[in-house]
Amino acid sequence: MRLLKALVVLMLCLSFSSVSAADKELNVGFIYVSPVGDAGWSYAHDLGRKALAEMPGVKTSFVEAVAEGPDSERVMLNMARKGYDVIFATSFGYMDPMLKVAKQFPKTVFMHCSGFKMADNMGNYFGRMYQARYLSGMVAGGMTKSKTIGYVAAFPIPEVIRGINAFTLGVQAVNPGATVRVVWTKTWYDPATEKEAAKSLLDVGADVIAQHQDSPGPQEAAQEKGVYSIGYNSDMTAFAPKAHLTAPIWNWAPFYKNVIEQVQKGTWKAESVWPGMDTGIIDLAPFGEMVPQDLRDKVMAAKADIIAGKNAIFIGPVKDQKGEVKIADGITAADKDLLGMTWFVQGVVGTTE
Amino acid sequence: MFRIRITKRQEPRGWSSCLVLLAAIALSLVLSGILLSLRGTPPLTGLAVLFKGAYGSRFAIEDCLVKAIPIFLCSLGVAVAFRLQIWNIGAEGQFALGAVGATWAALTFPDLPGYLLMPAMIIMAVLAGGFWGMIPAILRQRLRTNEIIVTLMLNYIAILFLDYLVYGAWKDPTSFGFPMTSEFSPQAVVGRIGSTGINWGLAHCLVLGIVVWVFIRYTRIGFELKAAGDSVRAARYAGIPYDRLVVLVMVISGALAGWAGFLEASATINRLQPSIMAGYGYTAIVVAWLARLNPLSIAVASFLLAGLRVGVENLQLDLQVPAAFGGIIEGLILLTVLAGGLFNSYRIAVRRR
Amino acid sequence: MDIAIIVPLLAAAVQSGTPILYATLGEIFTEKSGVLNLGVEGVMIVGALAGFIVALATGSPLLAFLAAGLAGALISAVHGVVCLWFKGNQVVSGLALTILGTGLADYLGTSYVGRTAPGFQPVALPLLAKIPVLGPIFFNHDPLVYLTYFIPPLMWYYLTRSRHGLGLRAAGEYPAAATAAGLDVAAYRWCGILVGGFFMGLGGAYLSLAYTHLWTNNLTGGRGWIAVALVIFAFWRPGRAVLGAYLFGGIMAMQLRLQASGTQLPSSLLLMLPYALTVIVLVLSSWRRGMSEAPAALGVNVEPTD
Repeated sequence: MRLLKALVVLMLCLSFSSVSAADKELNVGFIYVSPVGDAGWSYAHDLGRKALAEMPGVKTSFVEAVAEGPDSERVMLNMARKGYDVIFATSFGYMDPMLKVAKQFPKTVFMHCSGFKMADNMGNYFGRMYQARYLSGMVAGGMTKSKTIGYVAAFPIPEVIRGINAFTLGVQAVNPGATVRVVWTKTWYDPATEKEAAKSLLDVGADVIAQHQDSPGPQEAAQEKGVYSIGYNSDMTAFAPKAHLTAPIWNWAPFYKNVIEQVQKGTWKAESVWPGMDTGIIDLAPFGEMVPQDLRDKVMAAKADIIAGKNAIFIGPVKDQKGEVKIADGITAADKDLLGMTWFVQGVVGTTE
Repeated sequence: MFRIRITKRQEPRGWSSCLVLLAAIALSLVLSGILLSLRGTPPLTGLAVLFKGAYGSRFAIEDCLVKAIPIFLCSLGVAVAFRLQIWNIGAEGQFALGAVGATWAALTFPDLPGYLLMPAMIIMAVLAGGFWGMIPAILRQRLRTNEIIVTLMLNYIAILFLDYLVYGAWKDPTSFGFPMTSEFSPQAVVGRIGSTGINWGLAHCLVLGIVVWVFIRYTRIGFELKAAGDSVRAARYAGIPYDRLVVLVMVISGALAGWAGFLEASATINRLQPSIMAGYGYTAIVVAWLARLNPLSIAVASFLLAGLRVGVENLQLDLQVPAAFGGIIEGLILLTVLAGGLFNSYRIAVRRR
Repeated sequence: MDIAIIVPLLAAAVQSGTPILYATLGEIFTEKSGVLNLGVEGVMIVGALAGFIVALATGSPLLAFLAAGLAGALISAVHGVVCLWFKGNQVVSGLALTILGTGLADYLGTSYVGRTAPGFQPVALPLLAKIPVLGPIFFNHDPLVYLTYFIPPLMWYYLTRSRHGLGLRAAGEYPAAATAAGLDVAAYRWCGILVGGFFMGLGGAYLSLAYTHLWTNNLTGGRGWIAVALVIFAFWRPGRAVLGAYLFGGIMAMQLRLQASGTQLPSSLLLMLPYALTVIVLVLSSWRRGMSEAPAALGVNVEPTD
């Protein structure tokens, strides 16, 4: 009995302490699937988190290297119990666990990146990275002489496949008949393997290397061989100044700031947002000096079209590798189809398995 | 001038060996504390946060128990092999194949009633895990191939095989292309105990733990294991079939790890996905050694190391200590306890020369 | 396959085999003294980080390379303390060293992620690089690759021809007899651990200073374990270690090239190749000789005597 009493008192204390903490400032928690030290995806989100930490009245924290599934559910529960007001989860596999936790903590704001399920207090968000991929594809297509472009890719999941497809469509927009060769590394951040993968593409005749990897390993390979490269995540010029043409890049800070401001003002509501280049959440890194002016003009014109909503990129007719029409003539692919994309467009050499 | 003299103890120490263990753990915590202060984190607060996160609330303890289940079963298996001086580093891969076996049953016969489906899943998991354990044993028996390396390489192969299935044939068509199988039907899910967060896997652990203990302690084969583990040559003279024992322990070892894979897929994740691989198989080795291969101690050590994993999340959240800190403590504890073993099996005297 | 593909493939085999070669040579050295150090993976990653930090701080790749070796020796010394002083089990201590080393490197390396350090660049050797086929395969790399052309013969000479090397092997084969003959077995074993750790650290540094010029978690990516396996494949001989490391590097380079050339095989299955090959190679080499080539007292601690 005494034990029970003590427990009740303890619980009360705990709940009070969390309430008073919440009154003072907004507690924002992030959960990442890899260590922040991956230099890539989680790192980009963490730059956004750091921008939040500088806002007045905002306190942030994060938990890294959390496995998708039950581990993530526990971490989110822990955050919610500790009185975190806003929780951002930045991997697809966190979707179902977050939904469960969101139902138990209706007052907490939950934001899930890259999924589609929602609740009254759970929104989801992603960026239309494929728009920037398309533009970087145009640059690659304009610069290749061998008509072969290498693409070092991490895992065959829709996000990556979509990026490769958009990239290839961009290549073909300026250089019909050029092909994109894909090598899967099954790693997000193994610089040595990724560099070796890029070299293998160089050996089969690729003269531009693009990547969906977190490490700049492929950039180094391109520079050493004296060919061109397209980076990813952030401006990778520093790693390969002679090779780096441009890079599709993430810039989460404005988006995260916007969400937090909404929460502070009390105007936040659960939405599914998939912002594109018009919001600045994704962009194209500055061109390397080897990109000729006419190509720059072409790409910047396409960028203006995308921002103005005139080019949705995945507009039919789009054929798959076998030549079957996957997106019918004149139709713009629905977001749902883009989110679940598992096939390669014509012009990609490789397999999605 | 002093001289240290070390002699072998005739009889192992009794209760005072606990003291050595505690001293070793204390030393590793002191060393971890120093590492914390290197980063400017107050070490005492840090360790307090770690312990509070692991054992400070009902939820935390439940989480630890859930995490302890796969670690315990893998460790139980590893310990049986270690008894015979067979270094099975392959619990990770045997765990993966167990999960694959169980998932095969769950996906192939989703409509079977639970009393048939559940045993089918267990049998498949045990067979698959046992088979994966048997390969290195047979190779060792026939060709004297080093089992440390073979089990380790089989881990990589098993995990890639699991990847192959969830990225390919077993991918859930409704998962938007993400690598996971569809959710198991309710009959294929090991439920939770009452209103707690703990699943019935805990009961499996209890039963299997007792079975293994009885097997080691009271059966003829158990006795032979101990004899052969102490001295292979003596065992051969005594007519103990050493080679057959090697195969037997590896099959048992693999089967138990496979069972753990079944529980993790069925009870905690309810499907198969790559994040099921959380390194339990490696932690199991640490646990088995800390517990000196004794089933009851393995239970305690599993709970403690599960607590370390859970507590480190709290440490990240509250004090922003990197996730890698958990690995450091794990390594340090193992090294200090290992070194502390000297005081248990040897007598140390300091004499003036 | 024509020569235009095979030559770059073999050149890639040499380069991706080099970090594994350093580590394998280190482990051979350690095991020859009778100590089994399964912590290669942990030692390598600590070496990689130390090299990277020193390269950033001093701007001198050479200094960084040496520092990586020293860091490798230092972390291996933990293994020495546990196994030689405290008579701990060598298998378990090695595993613990891997866990500790990986943790330490991740923990201390967080702030170095995303930076690039000065390192070694490829230098084509005059004349030699011009030799057809062999030139591009062997003589168009960075200086750290060239260094590995000298180490195996030197190590072979040391182990088989020098007095000290014979002592080291005696410590690994017949520690009791060596002690009786007046050799300080513990000192030889310390030498094996520290020098071996030095080479493993160099192998890690190859990844952060030459192969790439970056630091991230998991830079070694399991190469340390491969090295442990290659020691057995090499029958504890430095010369065969070269063969093993290049074979392994070649298979790694080949599976990526198969993908690049447009194969329809699933990538998961291709990625299994190196690991499956390791098992097959082990099986084949045990078939021929078994563990009979292993130092007789490998992994056995020397019991204290009065």
